[in-house]
Formats: sequence, C-alpha cells, structure tokens
Amino acid sequence: MSYTRLVADDFVVSSDAISSTCWTTGNPTLSTFFTSSTQANGSSGNYYLNVYNTASNESSSAVQFGIAYGNSYGSGSANYNSAVNGKSPTATIWGQWQDLVLGDENANFVFGAVTSSQFFAVTMERACYKDAIFLGSLTLKLSGSQGVITLTDNSQYVSTVPYCEAGRVFQLISGSAGTKYTNSGTTTDGYSVNSGSYGWLLPDIGAILLNPLALGEPPISGGISFTFSGSAYTGNVAYNAATNANASLFRAMSGSTANIFTLNSQETITSDYVFVRPRSSEYNYSENPSFISGSTGEVLYPQFINNPQTYITTIGLYNDTNDLLAVAKLSRPLTKDFTKEALIRVKLDF
Amino acid sequence: MGYLNNTVVTVDAILTDTGRQLLAQQNGQFQITQFALADDEIDYTLYNPNHPSGSAYYGQAIDNMPLLEAFPQSNQVMKYKLVTLPRGTAKMPILDLGYNSIILKQGASLAITPQTLNYQGGNTYETSGYSATISDIRLFSNFQGVGINTPAVNALNVANQTTTIGTSVSKTVVGTTINLTATTVNTLFSTQTQLQATLTVEGRDSGARLTIPVTVIKVS
Repeated sequence: MSYTRLVADDFVVSSDAISSTCWTTGNPTLSTFFTSSTQANGSSGNYYLNVYNTASNESSSAVQFGIAYGNSYGSGSANYNSAVNGKSPTATIWGQWQDLVLGDENANFVFGAVTSSQFFAVTMERACYKDAIFLGSLTLKLSGSQGVITLTDNSQYVSTVPYCEAGRVFQLISGSAGTKYTNSGTTTDGYSVNSGSYGWLLPDIGAILLNPLALGEPPISGGISFTFSGSAYTGNVAYNAATNANASLFRAMSGSTANIFTLNSQETITSDYVFVRPRSSEYNYSENPSFISGSTGEVLYPQFINNPQTYITTIGLYNDTNDLLAVAKLSRPLTKDFTKEALIRVKLDF
Repeated sequence: MGYLNNTVVTVDAILTDTGRQLLAQQNGQFQITQFALADDEIDYTLYNPNHPSGSAYYGQAIDNMPLLEAFPQSNQVMKYKLVTLPRGTAKMPILDLGYNSIILKQGASLAITPQTLNYQGGNTYETSGYSATISDIRLFSNFQGVGINTPAVNALNVANQTTTIGTSVSKTVVGTTINLTATTVNTLFSTQTQLQATLTVEGRDSGARLTIPVTVIKVS
C-alpha cells in the first residue's frame, strides 16, 4: 500500500499574527510620494488622489494609498450641477465615510471633543495593510505653511478600545511610532489645544481620517497652518487645482520637510500543521523505475531485498478519494529503511 | 522552478491545482485524510553498494542532492511512490496493460484492463482501480474509466469523459477498465498521417506506474 491514513493527533491548527511593512517597497517608511496626472485629471480625480511610491510610469510603481477630502457642505470641489449648491464630490465623500464609519447620516465626526464637518481620508491599499494596520506603528509627518508635525495613534494610551461602525477607532495625536509628544501647543493627550485630536486611525479598514481644523491651527496651538480650498467650510468653494484639497494634503505629506510616512500592517495567518509519521516498517520500497531492474520488477540491488533503502523527497496529502490536495518537498532527501522512522511537519498556510 | 536551500532540512508545502479547485468548490472534498511519500528525482543507480569506503558512503551521491521546489500540477508530482511491502520483497509491483504501445486507426476503439503483477502475493486487479492520464485528450472521442463506482470517481469520470475540446490538455479518469476511441476529426492531423500522445496508468493502491506511447493513424 502506498497511502497511510492520518489520525486526529496528526493535525494541529494554529493562528499566528504576522506584522510587516505596509508599503510595496518593503521599507517601513515611505519617503517618496508621486501622483499620476492621468488619474488626477480623470473623473476619479474629483474624488480622490492616488499616491504612488515612484513615478506612475515606472515598472516598480504601485499605488500605496489614496487621499480623499470629505465636507458635509460640499465645499472644496465644484458642484455637480451649478443649480444645486452643496452637492459635489466632497459631499459624496463625506456621506460615504459617514455611512461607513458612523452608520448614521445625522452624526458628525468628533475628533477628540471637537465636532468637525470635514476630514481627509487616507486610505491604504488593501494589499498593503492586509488584515489591519498594526497599532503603534504610525508616524506621519506633515508640513504646512508654518512648521511641521508628526502624528501617531494613541493606542498605547487608552485603557479600553473604542469602537465605531468601522471597528476599532483611535485618536491621532502629536507623536511618532505610538509615542506621544506634548508641548505648549498640545493638550496632555497630545491633541491640539483648540481643535481636538488630529484625526482618527481606523486600523480595521486600513484608513486614517485627518482633522483639517487641528492641522489648520497655527503652531502655537498645535497645528501647521495648513490651508486649502474648502478649509473655510461654509458654503461652496469653487474648484481650484492649485489649492485643491487632495493636492494640498499631498503636498503637505511630500514636502521636503515632511516625507515620512511609517506604517506597518498586520495579518493573522491560520496554519494547518500536518504531522506525517512513516513508521519503520513502512515506505521502504519504491516504485521509482530506477529502483527496479528488468521488466519483471526485480529490485535494483540484491541488498534491497532484505535491507532496502529509499529516499523521501516528496510528501503528498490526499483526501479519501486519493485526490492530491497538497504537496510538500523536502530540501534534501531523507533516508528511510527498516531501522528508521521519520516525523515530518508539513505547514499549510491559509 | 528553483532549487530549495538544503543547508537545513525544510519542507516546502503548496496546494496543488486539484487542491485549489476542490477548496474553491467547497463541496467537502478538501479534507486531508491520508498521506503518501514519493522519491521523485532520485536515481537509485547512484546508490553504490560497492563503495570502497563502506556502507556509510553507499548513498553519498544521493544524500545531499539539491531538490527542486514543489510543482502545483498534481500530475507532475508524486510520480514514484514509496510503498509498504513485507521485508524480503524481491520483486516490486508492476503494471501490465497488455500492450507496450497502442496504435489505433481513426474511430477505432480499445478497452484496457490493467493488472498489477507481484502484488499481494501474485498478479491481481487493484481494489481502488487505476488512474489513467492521456497527455492530449484531443486524440480521443471517448476516454472513459469504468468499474469503480465511488461518488468521487464517478464525478471525475463524468467530468473528464468529454473529449475533443480543441485544446491540448491532459485528462485523467479512474476505473478498472479504460475505454478509448480514437478521434475521427481530420483537422487535428493537418499534414501529418498520425498523432502521438502518452498514456500513463497508475495503480491507486500499489502506486505502480507505467507510461506507454499512443498513436492514432489517419485513415483518409
């Protein structure tokens, strides 16, 4: 017989949390930022701006994240129809995230204790953040017209994990890699003194919401005087490419004094361990044609009659109907004879 | 396909194409219940029982050989299975198809009933039957396995008995008898007078395996 049935003790299922860098470059920090004029000037550019690691026409280029601006009043972009004020791509983005994160069309985003009618959404590529963003790994450096700021999440400083409709939610605070920075412009929580936290980290959906009000504060109040079209959020503001909200945040991230976006991903890999145990009396002969001499099936060497020696190179895992479901190769042959038993651990990841 | 680093012993495991298919179908067939071992890539003529340095060196030429990574194609791995036989076995199970090669004219039929020699004390037909893989299904208008009536085998045989599909792909069926009917489609021949393929038959219990050439002759 060439098959051995596995028993319950031969299977172990294990789940392991794996963290890795978020960017396709393999580096923990993304320090070069590019956009695609084709995408920015296309219809999707009215809603979001894709950010690449290299020039978008290079072979190594890949979208790393997107930037979108949402405003409850529709400010920051041209109206869909000039006769209908307040209905624009930014209003669509606002409603989209309101539905996704708040689950209530009447609710507002509250950053720290400050209610805001606008936000920037920084959305990671799914393949980059995998299952979730790894808490405490965020360092995002932004530059405004006055100074720079680095942001991180407050996951290291909360005793209970707050949840929203999009899973866990943490406040963005002044700091880096999970460590809080405080100064005269921030509260003891690391928020801006007048405009609340700098946004939210939504690790389970791979997104960051930035609070434009806090970023728009002067440095003395914890901000960087960040401005853009639509930052005065009362009423509609005509679209202006030079001050477009998404492009403005892109410049704040990619400016020569910023250029740091560090983030790690996290995923849970469920592994199925199968323990294969050929016993001493098993698998000591082979159907390999080189094991056989002649046309009638004699073994190659007379010594193989009583002391056969085989070499295990491949393990096949089958179902009841002998379908080969998985295969494992050893890195070098494993000797098998009547005096040897083997225990081979095969790991299948799902 | 790369070589595995053999400075340490590792196990490189992947799902096969069949495994991925059954996993996607979610019909309960993706259930690992048994294992088999194989020695693909090993050439036993490299084993030297006359090595002047003694028995510790008999397998010197094999022991540290680098091995290739696993192939996902289930037909390309586990070719040569290790088998459990009583100590003192002098002859290995081998297959007898009754033919060393098959030559059929267009439209002609043939039934092959494999037999396993030197198995379980003599010559016998294996209980689980035989799997037969034709390398190019276009050569046959009928390629069918009969005699094994488990649900999985029936499903496999029904799915794979569809013949000329215009694409050169291999097909596998299971049975105690394999029925073949050569194609009548002339366009396959182009300017050639015959088409060739290989038929690989494997004993599903013994692991014995035999590959023979198959030729279909153009009639008109």
